[in-house]
Amino acid sequence: MADPSVENQVNGQAEEDLVNPWTVSSSSLKGVDYDKLIKKFGSAKIDDGLIERMEKLTGKPVHHFIKRGIFFSHREMHMILDLYEKKQPFYLYTGRGPSSGSMHLGHLVPFICTKWLQETFDVPLVIQLTDDEKFLWKDLTVEETIELSMKNAKDIIACGFDVNKTFIFSDYDYIGKCSEFYKNITRVQKLVTYNQVKGIFGFDDSTYIGKISFPAIQAAPSFSSSFPHIFGGNKKVPCLIPCAIDQDPYFRMTRDVAPRLQYLKPALLHSSFFPALQGAQSKMSSSDPTSSIFLTDTPKEIKNKINKYAYSGGGATVEEHKEKGGNLEVDVSYQYLRFFLDDDEKLEKLGNEYKSGELLTGYLKKELITILQELIADHQKRRSLVTDDDVKQFMTPRKLNYNY
Amino acid sequence: MADNTEVIVNPKEDIVDPWTVQSSSDKGVDYDRLIEKFGSMRINDDLIKRMEKVTGKPVHHFIRRGIFFSHRELEMILEKYEQKQPFYLYTGRGPSSEAMHLGHLVPFICTQWLQETFDVPLVIQMTDDEKFLWKEEIKDPDQTYRLAYENAKDIIACGFDINKTFIFSDIDFIGGCPEFYKNICRIEKKVTFNQVKAIFGFNESNNIGQVSFPAIQAAPSFSSSFPKIFGGHTRVPCLIPCAIDQDPYFRMTRDVAPKLKFLKPALLHSVFFPALQGAQGKMSSSDPTSSIFLTDTQKEIEDKINKYAYSGGGATLEEHRKKGGDLDTDVSYQYLRFFLEDDVKLERLGKEYKTGSLTTGDLKKELIAVLQKLVGGHQEKRQRVTEDIVKQYMKPRPLNYKF
Repeated sequence: MADPSVENQVNGQAEEDLVNPWTVSSSSLKGVDYDKLIKKFGSAKIDDGLIERMEKLTGKPVHHFIKRGIFFSHREMHMILDLYEKKQPFYLYTGRGPSSGSMHLGHLVPFICTKWLQETFDVPLVIQLTDDEKFLWKDLTVEETIELSMKNAKDIIACGFDVNKTFIFSDYDYIGKCSEFYKNITRVQKLVTYNQVKGIFGFDDSTYIGKISFPAIQAAPSFSSSFPHIFGGNKKVPCLIPCAIDQDPYFRMTRDVAPRLQYLKPALLHSSFFPALQGAQSKMSSSDPTSSIFLTDTPKEIKNKINKYAYSGGGATVEEHKEKGGNLEVDVSYQYLRFFLDDDEKLEKLGNEYKSGELLTGYLKKELITILQELIADHQKRRSLVTDDDVKQFMTPRKLNYNY
Repeated sequence: MADNTEVIVNPKEDIVDPWTVQSSSDKGVDYDRLIEKFGSMRINDDLIKRMEKVTGKPVHHFIRRGIFFSHRELEMILEKYEQKQPFYLYTGRGPSSEAMHLGHLVPFICTQWLQETFDVPLVIQMTDDEKFLWKEEIKDPDQTYRLAYENAKDIIACGFDINKTFIFSDIDFIGGCPEFYKNICRIEKKVTFNQVKAIFGFNESNNIGQVSFPAIQAAPSFSSSFPKIFGGHTRVPCLIPCAIDQDPYFRMTRDVAPKLKFLKPALLHSVFFPALQGAQGKMSSSDPTSSIFLTDTQKEIEDKINKYAYSGGGATLEEHRKKGGDLDTDVSYQYLRFFLEDDVKLERLGKEYKTGSLTTGDLKKELIAVLQKLVGGHQEKRQRVTEDIVKQYMKPRPLNYKF
């Protein structure tokens, strides 16, 4: 049984949110109760104080993801800001599990935020493609997962990362190239028992031994000594990890292990889930095409998917809608606008009008469709310009534009 | 069962796994029972005859005397050899300390003979990651990494052909060869915790590195792990000479192999080199009085044999002359079985000791001379192994074979 369960009252019955790296589900239409999750996980809410401090230090507004609470929780973000204030270095670490050729909108979220962080703080970034993880968990061959890594790398590069500041690596490639990385993996492995991963990840005796030891592989990039070519052997460059909240168990484990290795605990920025088209009870998934908007979807496909499948919080009939208004919290189209409509004012206006019933579901969806079509078309254009050589460059272990 | 620091005195049944060897009797492990339990085959006279016919020379005295006593599918290997088809050898060492002892030499001596006799490539795995994961007192993998390089010198001093031998540290090779890591993952996906629990006795308090380590010891059994040597061939068969306590790893490997469309490795098992105090334990680097180290001086060898080598002789000289010595429990005699090459002399000494005409002291004298020469010779050869030579053996590279 996978772990942190959160009580959620629906119609008088206690239901549990299920959040771990492989499953995210909630019985509530509103989705996971994030406040309860913060309590359960022991992270901290990103509050106004933190946002103000970020804006003061960086001299610019935070990304709307942070402003709007899409990135809503953190661990030790203040520590990172302290360092920045003292002009001391840190680096970013995020990742992708390449289980399919097609990435979807939900996958873009941490990458969009990470890119903004890289630009804003001017720091190096490592991106882990966990092809070994996907091999162990999915019915794929090693070669297939490697191929998917290469494909996904192009989408990631298309998000606009700076090649002089970014190292992208596939586990199969990098573990087989860098003893320092493998050594850190064994150091972490030695400090985590089977009992612990059972508790954290819900493994059991019928789990493959590869899965059991995998968490150490996702932990290791949190330590700068894993990247000797970037950090010159410096073991204590702190790390900030922007990721979706379901990844937190890996990093709770990592933070527990770090001090025993005389390493620094990584800081974290957690995002909420990009809801599935059918509603926030589940997250978007590559394995279910009707739950997702893929980065390869055509403008027509986007339009049809939103119109057909995007769960509506509006009234059952036009009359009912004009009378009662729409429920913003469960309306998927509105939720998507929160993610991708940059313009705060416009978002507020649409929200108010939909809530009051003035704006119909059809029109709301139309707004969203336009935005998504543009977003995805732009992405596809940028992706088509990414060559195999570009990928090679990003994926070569090398010194970046920083000295340590 | 992780960790052999615990010595179980007088267990009811023999305990044999990669971390613990304890016998229930003072005669040592019951190897016939073990063959039955493990499901391997005895190396019998027919097999020995066949080997001698096929190779045109007598087998090594280790095989003749039943020191290598058990096997899996050795006939398959001999068939390949007869058909002039290739196979390769794979053995290993867990570098937990700098000083290797006589017991460690046993598989290497036999492996060297096999390499020479069959003229085949050999890979030797130094499990520096394993020792780090298991030893509480080892605080960092850099320590066992260094030990791997030190131990490699002793191994090279056994006389392996540099053009036919690849020695590798796991830390180097996993961090240097994606094909090796990929095979490790493939194996990891075919073995559950339940299985390693049953095979190795793992439990909830094992660390996650230990739980998945068996896949790392399995992977060198498959030729696709060594692309530079085998050019990508995935089905060059493998023969693994090792001590019998390693068998669990390879039972697991043989079970997994067909699922990956790889060949099951064949095996040659050796008995344990008994500890000085007697055949109930095995020699251990962590107990200096249980072992003759490859770094011992001539005097240390003499003292250790005289002082600690368990005697199967009579309690008094009279008793000994009357009853004779017990060859089965006498450690000095057992050591001579390993290291006195001369069959005729060994038999004579055995008879004389059994009847009581040869005293323990004199038997020990013979042994001391043999060991002093062996260890002295080894030290000389080891001294000539430089860092550069080690590096050459440990470089991933094609060997003198085309595939």
